[in-house]
Amino acid sequence: MTNARTAWVSVPVAVMALGLVSAAGPASAEDTIRVGAPLPLTGPLSPEGLKQQRGYDLWKDTVNAAGGITAGGVTYQVEIVYVDYESNTPRAVQTAERLIAEDGVNFLFSPFGSGAAKAASSVSERYGIPTIAATASSEAVYDQGYQFLFGTFTPNSTLTDPLTRIVTDSGEGVASVAIYARNDLFPLAIAREMEKSAEARGLEVVSFDEYAIGTLDHGSALTLLRLSQPDWVFATGYINDLILIRRQMSDLGIQPKVLTMIAGPAYREFIEAGGDLAENIASAAWWHPAVSYDGQDIFGTTANYVAAFQDKYDALPDYAEASASAAGVILQLAIEAADSIDPQAVRDALAAMQATTFYGEVEFGETGQIVSLEPPVFQIQDGEAKTVYPPAIQQTDMRYGGIK
Amino acid sequence: MKGSPLAQGVGHRAGRASLTRPLCGHPLPEGEGSDAASNRSFLVLPGPTPMLYAQILLNGLLLGGLYACIAVGFSLVWGVLNVINILHGSFVVLGSYIAYFAHVHWGLHPFLSIFLSGGVLFVVGYAVQRGVINRVIAAPVLTTLVLTFGLDLIVNNGMLLAFTADYRTVRLEHPLGSQIIGGLVVPLDRLAAMGLAVALTVLLFFTLARSKIGRAIVAVRMDAQAAALMGVDVPRIYAVTFGIGALMAGAAGSLLSLVFPISPLNGTEFLGIAFVVCVLGGLGSISGAIVGGFALGAIQSFGALWIGPEHGLTIAFALLLLLLVVKPTGIMGRKGYE
Repeated sequence: MTNARTAWVSVPVAVMALGLVSAAGPASAEDTIRVGAPLPLTGPLSPEGLKQQRGYDLWKDTVNAAGGITAGGVTYQVEIVYVDYESNTPRAVQTAERLIAEDGVNFLFSPFGSGAAKAASSVSERYGIPTIAATASSEAVYDQGYQFLFGTFTPNSTLTDPLTRIVTDSGEGVASVAIYARNDLFPLAIAREMEKSAEARGLEVVSFDEYAIGTLDHGSALTLLRLSQPDWVFATGYINDLILIRRQMSDLGIQPKVLTMIAGPAYREFIEAGGDLAENIASAAWWHPAVSYDGQDIFGTTANYVAAFQDKYDALPDYAEASASAAGVILQLAIEAADSIDPQAVRDALAAMQATTFYGEVEFGETGQIVSLEPPVFQIQDGEAKTVYPPAIQQTDMRYGGIK
Repeated sequence: MKGSPLAQGVGHRAGRASLTRPLCGHPLPEGEGSDAASNRSFLVLPGPTPMLYAQILLNGLLLGGLYACIAVGFSLVWGVLNVINILHGSFVVLGSYIAYFAHVHWGLHPFLSIFLSGGVLFVVGYAVQRGVINRVIAAPVLTTLVLTFGLDLIVNNGMLLAFTADYRTVRLEHPLGSQIIGGLVVPLDRLAAMGLAVALTVLLFFTLARSKIGRAIVAVRMDAQAAALMGVDVPRIYAVTFGIGALMAGAAGSLLSLVFPISPLNGTEFLGIAFVVCVLGGLGSISGAIVGGFALGAIQSFGALWIGPEHGLTIAFALLLLLLVVKPTGIMGRKGYE
């Protein structure tokens, strides 16, 4: 099975690599920068894995079309070596090690999510390979004192704090919140942050429950939740879980003033699958196509990036896709700043980076996690994720009620 | 929801303190977050309200009927052919996709597309059995297990390529919504889906009990050689049985498309449910699948209530192990289809 699946992935990669080589003329292995990307391309996390792949591919194709990356007088083409770890975290770690030790990649993009990124970071640290995590927000990923790990998501509290502030300042009388979390690294971590944010703003947390990965029924938990009549329901999980939870909430007639779901509402698939039920769900994410930056990277402005993405994929990019492209852009800026592809030099350039990109301001803190982003709060209104915060990019006002 | 009888039964906002956990509303002491949060589920014992238990039981039964329908085809194939059909979960998902596309393109309600998905899946099942599985039907059970496992990989990855892993849902133009009946919230679409699921299962029961083909299936199950001597075309009966198993999976898939998001990735979950239901209820009878389905739904719901939503399935599996020790044939288990 592994071989068959790997073959599916590696065939297109090989074809692309061949295409690059021929397009670039007399290129050799020496003037190619190879970036390893273990991704969950099949299995339960494949929707997320494919998003990351789209983001990386857009960056790679844009860079190569523009001639490549120049460092130390050499112009390099970019090759991304994808390996499918089948949504199996232990295999993600093995894959990362194989990419570094056997395939000899120069840099690594972390596997999907906080859990796998943390697990794989020990490998890249051991080999001294600069690694960028495009989808890992939990602070626990970055608290190991590692030197080579950098992340493009701010800590989870930067999502829950503004959201809580907006809701409590609204004057809508939202006084209580019920939290329902998938027992998984990120969904649980952000649920805990929500609890802290809520308590800090004087909200009563009437319940905090966890559900197991792969849960097919939320009836009992939601029946209990319904009894406590929370003004605000905060549910975490991935698209599958959240759609199921949303449907069962509707079945049981749970209609809080505010409904927040993370992470899913920022994805167009969620909005499409949710239909009317997705309306008025409030959420937050690290990026939104409405943000506007004038970057010094290959994409330049956010609008350019969005247009390039639409050209290639015929859809608006979401935060996961943009973050993956940003990981590429950040790596490129670091290589150019270091004027070298030496791992230590690139690592130092990453640590010292102060740049503006299409994705936002980029500056990494002591732990390697980005500290310069201001994640937008948004709400699904009329089938679109519209920003309500920060003021500079506000598209609409937050609506209260209207949860069917 | 405010003011509904269920909520009134345990009091409103003023009465909330009595039904929430002691820790709620107080900031957690530093460093205690994780333990406190995970222990809280154990403290959530809302007042002893019969209405709450009735609601949980209703949720469990609604779920259980669907579980029974998922499992019954699996049980039939296992019981008659002695084949553990790993493909079953993917058949269910395939049924859901047929319902989804029939709804999107032709506006066909999933309740009606059970005929389409059931029919398509019957043909698929018949062909798979006739063309592939029949060749090794006499081999030990492990051989057919590996064979169906391999076929499942092909079908599942085929669906991933064809439909992608994106989650889809059937969104009805006019959903029935929920009604509060006697203080209980009754989700009508789910109720109808469950009713149809049970009706299909009962229909299968009578088909086996009354029809000529049904009696032939039962005869083959009891003694294939004797049945062959009586003029029963055994390979054909095997194929028909496998086809009926797939038909039930496809029909269940149609019904489930109203309840669960649709993705090839759910096949594994459905297979797991079919397996547990069969072992719980006992292989070898339709009633076993029905009892097993309802039992699993109820156990899971009450498990989630009593020890937290994280552990609903844990309880179900613990009981399953216990049952395997005490009564290995399952609640309704006996030999053969009757």
